[in-house]
Amino acid sequence: MTNKRTRLIAKSAAAPVALIFTLAVIAGTASAGTIAGSAHDFSSINNDGQICVNCHTPHSADTTVATAPLWNHDVTSTTFLLYSSPTMNSAPGQPTGSSVLCLSCHDGTVAVDSFGGNAGVDFIAPGDEHYIGTDLSDDHPISITYDSALANADPGLNDPSATTVTIGLGGDKTNTGTVSNLLLPADQVQCSSCHDVHNGFVPPAEPDLLVVSRTNSSICFTCHNK
Amino acid sequence: MKLLFRTCLALLICTVAGPGEADTIVGSRHNLSASGPGPVTSGSETQICIFCHTPHQSSPVAPLWNRRSPGLNYVPYSSSTAIATPGQPTGDSLLCLSCHDGTIALGEVLSRGSDIVMNGGTITMPVGSSLIGTNLMQDHPISFAYSGTLASQNGELRDPGTLRPEFRLDASGQLQCTTCHDAHDNQFGNFLVWPNSRSQLCVECHQKTGWSLSPHNLSASAWNGVFPDPWPASDAATVIDNACGNCHLPHNAIGGPRLLQYSLEEDNCNACHNGNVAAENVMADFNKLSVHPVADTSLVHDPTEPGTVVNRHVECADCHDPHAARAGTPPINGVLTNVRGIDLSGGEVDPAGSSYEICFRCHADNLNPGQNLTPRQHDQQNTRLEFQLTNPSFHPVAGVGRNADVPSLIDPMSVTSIIECTDCHDSDSSESAGGAGPSGPHGSIFAPLLVRRYDTLDNTPESSSAYALCYTCHSRNSLLNDASFAEHDRHIRRENAPCNACHDPHGISSTQGNSVNNTHLINFDTTIVSPNGNGQLRFVDEGRFSGSCDLLCHGEDHVNENY
Repeated sequence: MTNKRTRLIAKSAAAPVALIFTLAVIAGTASAGTIAGSAHDFSSINNDGQICVNCHTPHSADTTVATAPLWNHDVTSTTFLLYSSPTMNSAPGQPTGSSVLCLSCHDGTVAVDSFGGNAGVDFIAPGDEHYIGTDLSDDHPISITYDSALANADPGLNDPSATTVTIGLGGDKTNTGTVSNLLLPADQVQCSSCHDVHNGFVPPAEPDLLVVSRTNSSICFTCHNK
Repeated sequence: MKLLFRTCLALLICTVAGPGEADTIVGSRHNLSASGPGPVTSGSETQICIFCHTPHQSSPVAPLWNRRSPGLNYVPYSSSTAIATPGQPTGDSLLCLSCHDGTIALGEVLSRGSDIVMNGGTITMPVGSSLIGTNLMQDHPISFAYSGTLASQNGELRDPGTLRPEFRLDASGQLQCTTCHDAHDNQFGNFLVWPNSRSQLCVECHQKTGWSLSPHNLSASAWNGVFPDPWPASDAATVIDNACGNCHLPHNAIGGPRLLQYSLEEDNCNACHNGNVAAENVMADFNKLSVHPVADTSLVHDPTEPGTVVNRHVECADCHDPHAARAGTPPINGVLTNVRGIDLSGGEVDPAGSSYEICFRCHADNLNPGQNLTPRQHDQQNTRLEFQLTNPSFHPVAGVGRNADVPSLIDPMSVTSIIECTDCHDSDSSESAGGAGPSGPHGSIFAPLLVRRYDTLDNTPESSSAYALCYTCHSRNSLLNDASFAEHDRHIRRENAPCNACHDPHGISSTQGNSVNNTHLINFDTTIVSPNGNGQLRFVDEGRFSGSCDLLCHGEDHVNENY
């Protein structure tokens, strides 16, 4: 609540004491390990200042969504244009799992505030750096199986079950394990493979909710053996 | 291991460079970030992949390309000998060219609002071996379908289906930059997919006829250190190690579509055959009085030209196949291996089986064969006609001669011997001339490119040296003792008439002469010999060692003068 209040006060530019925190939010460097103050802190667009409600609800949740608990947001029904490359050893199908939930805001077809029976008005629009759209052909493939067999077929990939990764290194939360265990739910590359929606396992000062630092392209080389 | 390497890199920035860089992009000069070891980096950018890739909002081009397309403004590769006709670059090659053609800033990436700033004020690809430019005429062709059909039509290319898996064609079967290069792996240098020592990479596709036996592929000769450096673009120190690179460059080859190091044909040979690498200095012979004038023309020779040369010229490659030339013995000298020719009947032969067939490319049925040095009773500029086996007489180049009685021949020469053009036309400093220089009709101090002296002026005092060429096979002693023609000594020694006054050294075509008047290579030099008072100019063969002449010579009328 402290964080929420800070932002509200800052918006009215009435409290110089809070300015430091505000600048931090604008720069996208929220307190490590917390969703509050992160890009997914929706308190500023909700009239009641709630942070979590755009995605979750304690009651009357959408029980058809199994990949996230107590789902509250309207789910996209888009058929996406998919990524393909002649040098890939696999081809993605339509998004599955939690990636569908991410795209339920980031494809731009469902409003960020479209939940609880409201259609919503706050869309992520083309031009916004967070806009993915319904054309996934210019985005890293998701919802593809990435297992030892694929790595064996493509020497440009590390074996995910034999490669160790540390996520959130130095942050409030950190974890070390195999790529398979930490990044690939059901051996699938999903949005969550690179991004922690809750700003949990994110290294300090790392933008875009990445779970491994982009410095020296470490996030890329976690999987890509180039 | 790679992971370990990257871990090291994160702790201390490695500075490895040059061939043998790590097999990851991180340790290669394609790491343009602040941690990169190469000459071109950005001091401010810490991401490595971003110069080419972005995870979101990439260009429409896979794989997640982060640069704009350079467009299609290239001069494509073309060559008279290429079966494939590459157009504008396609596919992955365009990705490489988006930096290497030098038209787009290295730091200009789609995912950034402004260009990544490179160190040292570098904007586009710096001038150097990495700058390909937009003229692809000087680079190995790309973006063409390398198919089994192409390979079989070419005849000197491996079937692409049998290439090692490291050599990848793209999804449509096209050869691209990525067939030879892996942008992420520089363990072999130049980001090659396979080591290229001794041109292993080149010969994976190129299977040149005769290459396996060629000294250009096998010789351990090294540069003697006298400038210029024959291999300025290479680290290899011997012919065998340079292999294809002795003459060719895969990129930025100013020798045009043949991808040669030098634009003037003979300069490519000169680099080694000037005495600095090859044992013998062939090129020095081209500075002599009488030469095959390789320096007179440039860019006229074309490998696809007709067997009978139309645009008169001569280049080293007209007589030599540098891929196949080797040591060897008759029927054809090894240095003439796999060269086209014109046979005795005027048909094209590929390859020539006898050296005279190579000579016939220029010295036979050409439209502008040049001028004979000696005006004769029967003037003939087509050498092929002069050597026909049906002629009344000829030097035995294309077959055994007709005269069964040649007492002057020096053992082991006999009336059944066959000689070559090069027995007379050769360097004056060659081994056969008693010298230590290279063999072959490259140049001589004796015109027309003769191995020994052959004086042709009237009133030449006879000596062993004046007619050294003839005396090589024909015994001076025998001739001056009149063993065959009873008046040889009188004509040659006492009257100082040159051999050339009466004898036509090649032969007399049956289209002009006959077996009565033109046996024994008789075809008079009309500047010395003229018709007698009866208007007659003839020799008449009257049998073994016997004949008569009607002519005027040295003021003396010969009327049925017989011997």
